[in-house]
Amino acid sequence: MHEIASLDRSRRTDSLGELAPRAAKTAWIVGGAGLALAVLSAVFFDDGWRHFNYSYLVNYAFYLSISLGALSFVALQHATRAGWSVTFRRLNEILAANMPLMAILFIPLALSLFLPAAAPYVWANPDLAEHSPLVQHKQPFLNVPFFLLRSAIYLGLWIWMARFFFTRSIRQDVSGDPELTVQMERFSGPIILLFALTTTFASFDWLMSVEPEWFSSIYGVYYYGGATVGGLAAAILAAMAAQRAGYAAQSITTEHYHDMGKLLFAFVVFWGYIAFSQYMLIWYANIPEETTWYLDRQSSAWLPASIALLLGHLFIPFLGMISREVKRRKVLLGFWCVWLLAFHWLDMFYLVMPSFASDRFPLGLIDLGLLVGLGGLYVGGLLRTAANVALVPTKDPRLPEALAFENL
Amino acid sequence: MSSGAVTANDNTLSDPRHRAPLVAGKQDYASITETVCRIAERDKTPRAWYVAFAVSASLTGMLFLLIGYLFITGVGVWGNNSPVFWGWPIVNFVFWVGIGHAGTLISAILFLFRQQWRTSINRFAEAMTIFAVCCAGIFPGIHIGRIWCVYWLAPYPNQMEMWPNFRSPLLWDVFAVSTYATVSALFWYLGMIPDLATLRDRATNPWRRLAYGTFALGWRGSARQWHRYERAYLLLAALATPLVLSVHSVVSFDFAVSQVPGWHTTIFPPYFVAGAIFSGFAMVVTLMVPARAFFGLKELVTLRHLENMNKIILATSCIVGYAYATEFFIAWYSGSQYELFAFLNRALGPYKWAYWTMVFCNVVVPHLFWFKKCRTTPWIMMIVAILVNVGMWFERFVIIVTSLSRDFLPSSWGAFVPTPIDVAMFVGSFGLFFTLFLLFCRYLPMVAMAEVKAAVSHGIEGHGH
Repeated sequence: MHEIASLDRSRRTDSLGELAPRAAKTAWIVGGAGLALAVLSAVFFDDGWRHFNYSYLVNYAFYLSISLGALSFVALQHATRAGWSVTFRRLNEILAANMPLMAILFIPLALSLFLPAAAPYVWANPDLAEHSPLVQHKQPFLNVPFFLLRSAIYLGLWIWMARFFFTRSIRQDVSGDPELTVQMERFSGPIILLFALTTTFASFDWLMSVEPEWFSSIYGVYYYGGATVGGLAAAILAAMAAQRAGYAAQSITTEHYHDMGKLLFAFVVFWGYIAFSQYMLIWYANIPEETTWYLDRQSSAWLPASIALLLGHLFIPFLGMISREVKRRKVLLGFWCVWLLAFHWLDMFYLVMPSFASDRFPLGLIDLGLLVGLGGLYVGGLLRTAANVALVPTKDPRLPEALAFENL
Repeated sequence: MSSGAVTANDNTLSDPRHRAPLVAGKQDYASITETVCRIAERDKTPRAWYVAFAVSASLTGMLFLLIGYLFITGVGVWGNNSPVFWGWPIVNFVFWVGIGHAGTLISAILFLFRQQWRTSINRFAEAMTIFAVCCAGIFPGIHIGRIWCVYWLAPYPNQMEMWPNFRSPLLWDVFAVSTYATVSALFWYLGMIPDLATLRDRATNPWRRLAYGTFALGWRGSARQWHRYERAYLLLAALATPLVLSVHSVVSFDFAVSQVPGWHTTIFPPYFVAGAIFSGFAMVVTLMVPARAFFGLKELVTLRHLENMNKIILATSCIVGYAYATEFFIAWYSGSQYELFAFLNRALGPYKWAYWTMVFCNVVVPHLFWFKKCRTTPWIMMIVAILVNVGMWFERFVIIVTSLSRDFLPSSWGAFVPTPIDVAMFVGSFGLFFTLFLLFCRYLPMVAMAEVKAAVSHGIEGHGH
């Protein structure tokens, strides 16, 4: 097993190097084109800017969730002193290290608060808030300065957490110092705690408050469940892409894909469990102030999306991924990762867009443009982060364990 | 926490370059068998066991006498009243079901997560699970008032035009808990078969051989049997995993599907599951600390095992604290005056002592486990674990009693005062739990020998470095 480990270590090409800036440039060009498409559509379509703002939130929540899922993955691996996942950790660290970019991408959302007529946050609009006693009640919490302050705190903490793991892990690539692992393990517990609180309140603030009269205490867990599905699927696809390009060829094995696939499967079920819990309790108690949210999503325009989510985010992948073979074959696992990312995106769309238009399913060029646009920027950011680092933590003290590991 | 070398006697040190040994001392297959089997094979039962058994069996007797009294007299012997129709019996039910969650989590979920350390504690925790579910099952059964209609609880053919109400979460409870009890018992028994065969093979007395031999189902330990056994175990683990989540989710539905303020909130299912695991692990630690000392199992159930369990207690305590905080925040955020009142009433109303006991025990005390010293010192963890048990009982009390005692109309408000019968039945349920537990400790293999051996050999021959 030592041979495989040293083989990977000796290959200097394990960091993307020259390839990264070129690929990043392509990603940015594609992203720029996507954004241009979205902006043009916003200009030419009726109600275009309002659609743009809502759709921006959908796509922001989507890409953010991938980084958050990856961040929680890294923290959990340290908290549990996991050995099997070492080869997958660096990719997740890179995904999480995209957090500063997510902070920059938050700026348009923050600015939209000052255009009350087109913002997804109607509570920020004093005229509308005046007519809703419930929104008035929430004003000590839902007001622009406090909202921005909280957003800054979430993003600041996430940037710190992601950097904390990323820099130490990179440093270990050089020194091989096991003390760094001990340090990361020691901080992982408090970081998970902070992560849970910030993610919950960020999802309350950024997503739940789009429907400011509605509330659900499980909402943060729901977003976390989806984020982990997104993060795991993205990490698996990133590993496949890297291996296709000839990197980390021998360190990431079928066994690691298999385990990541199992975890992804588990979180598909977890997401279903949380979604069911929320739906079930609201449906059964049938209290009008809670059911409004689902009534919008069961209107004739949105019912197909709700059912598609139920099938595509839960039942179909559940059946599709249950077999061991599927998780061990790259083509099949890759297919399910793409599938789940698509449905995770639909989930974000489903959370936000009925507030934009409950009488139609408003999928359009703007959404596509922003998906590609933010995606291009996101991938570009990843490639830049990944440029000069190995794609596998080469001197992690538990790397040999990960390399030797087999699913019996 | 310096990363010194891992010594044979202290396996709680952490050096990421090495995995700490799972068991302490120099253990081989023979010594593991000897350590575990000699407890069940002892000729003379220790006097302390008799004393403990006498006490717990008497309490069990009291429980059943009181159940008889209840049947003859009616549920008025309890403190249940209008509007608090659910009093201690349902508190006790939820409490015991919660306790019964550690076993299946350890044996199923930790198995799927390849946590080898589970092997030293799974048998013990699973046994505890089953006994706790027995205690839990009693309370809803005797709570129905008209005991001659008890069979209405179960879905049965409808010749009498008595249709089970499939829309009632109480019916789902019957399904959930009975499925859980069945699968847990099967899992426990299946895991025990190779060990029962070991006891059979070592038995010197023909009666013992017959008894253990009957339950060992002709196990010979052939490669073919092991192959089948491992497959069945994996499948049962995969089937039991959703059960760990489903049972307490359904129990939470008993409350959360209603419109009662303080009961109806969407985070209830995962919050109840985390709370159940929390209390279950606390009970395992409470029993394991004295048991490993008394039965000489310290080298198999090491400080590291206890430390790991304490970490799970800490993690689940944080989840429970998170749920309390979220509930409270959403009660305000929702703008519903009833919700907000329910929560303020918990914290500041007549039952505030119960609420703050709950918060102190469940959310404050377990944070001691951030410190390694507290995670690895038996008497400290024992105190924390007992307080967690107290806190989790109070959690159910707070949820049930504070919400029911304050109805929507102030004219229907009331208070709940337990009767001595309530207290005595709760104490009696501990008697039943400990009676079963003591019998288990005396006659069955307390540690899964076959699994520990597999895990230990894996440590020796394992990773090739």
